[in-house]
Amino acid sequence: MSIGEIKANTAPSRSAFRAGVLECLALIPSYVPFGLVCGVASVQAGLGEWGAVALAAFAFAGSSQAVLTQFLSGGAPLMIAVLSGLVVNLRMAVYSAAISQRIAGASRMERVLWAAFLVDQTFISNEARRSRGEYEDHPLPFYLGCAFTLWPWWVLMNAIGAFAGAKLPTSWQLDFTIPLSFVAMVVPLLKSRGQILAASAGGVAGVMLYAMPLKTGLIVACVFGTCVGMLVDTMLTKRTVSPGAAR
Amino acid sequence: MNWGGFGTLDGWLAIAGLAIGTFAIRYSFIGLLAGRKLPPRFERALQLAVPAIFAALVVPLILLHAGEFNLQLRWPHIVAALITGIYAWWRGGMLIPLVIGMATLHGLLRLAA
Repeated sequence: MSIGEIKANTAPSRSAFRAGVLECLALIPSYVPFGLVCGVASVQAGLGEWGAVALAAFAFAGSSQAVLTQFLSGGAPLMIAVLSGLVVNLRMAVYSAAISQRIAGASRMERVLWAAFLVDQTFISNEARRSRGEYEDHPLPFYLGCAFTLWPWWVLMNAIGAFAGAKLPTSWQLDFTIPLSFVAMVVPLLKSRGQILAASAGGVAGVMLYAMPLKTGLIVACVFGTCVGMLVDTMLTKRTVSPGAAR
Repeated sequence: MNWGGFGTLDGWLAIAGLAIGTFAIRYSFIGLLAGRKLPPRFERALQLAVPAIFAALVVPLILLHAGEFNLQLRWPHIVAALITGIYAWWRGGMLIPLVIGMATLHGLLRLAA
């Protein structure tokens, strides 16, 4: 294979990687306040500064890190603390199911990479890219561009929280960039009537069930929203297709 | 200079437990299905599940203050989120909607103070 051929092969995947980096650079501020808080909480829970860094690096899942350290600080048994953290991460099974339908033909190594960096932000960035129809032949480089921007930054913020005990003034409201970034990524995905209804039902249920422990309300709200969307979808298709239309 | 501590053995067991368990959740369907296509019905359900779960994640973060609906404290957040959503729907992108949303939030908070 000539150098020219290799270049022709890697150039688009490199530009997909770069697009992933750019896409997620804007999310960097949203990681700052929560990352610092998680680092501080890990040290308070007795993980030590290096334990805090390891937790951020290997779990890479903020809400579950917060729940785990909160339970450990409260003196809960180890198993309970770990299982509670895992329940918080159950929503990632939904992301895993969605990703599994998008990566036909991926090798085992590629599938491990898809799984390793699967968090809210990397997942929804990939959905946004798909809906724009960009880099259809190079989804993994785009995704890794995203992951290699967010993952080191997340670990660094946790480390600063752990070593320096630093926090940001709450008056900056920087933590509000998390919901805002999700709004900015999800709204353009809403294309069909079913999706808009599913989102509305999911949002209402999310508020009603917010008090359920360990974010389990999220899973219930997700199922509820999906059912509402499907029900309305089938009703609408029946009405438009059935009577005279059945030739 | 703080060289950092390593905490307890229990701490490291907890770290390992959460890390391994979380990877198992992430790899679950990706590994099990391994490129097999689900029936179209499930594919459609997934297309609805994604907006549903993100809305369930986001709407409480916008509306609620300390777990309670509080219009008096949260109206600037609600307006900021609406403007971010409208801009993102119109133009897409990430950085600009975020900047517009945060500017709106801080402007309104100052106005309300």
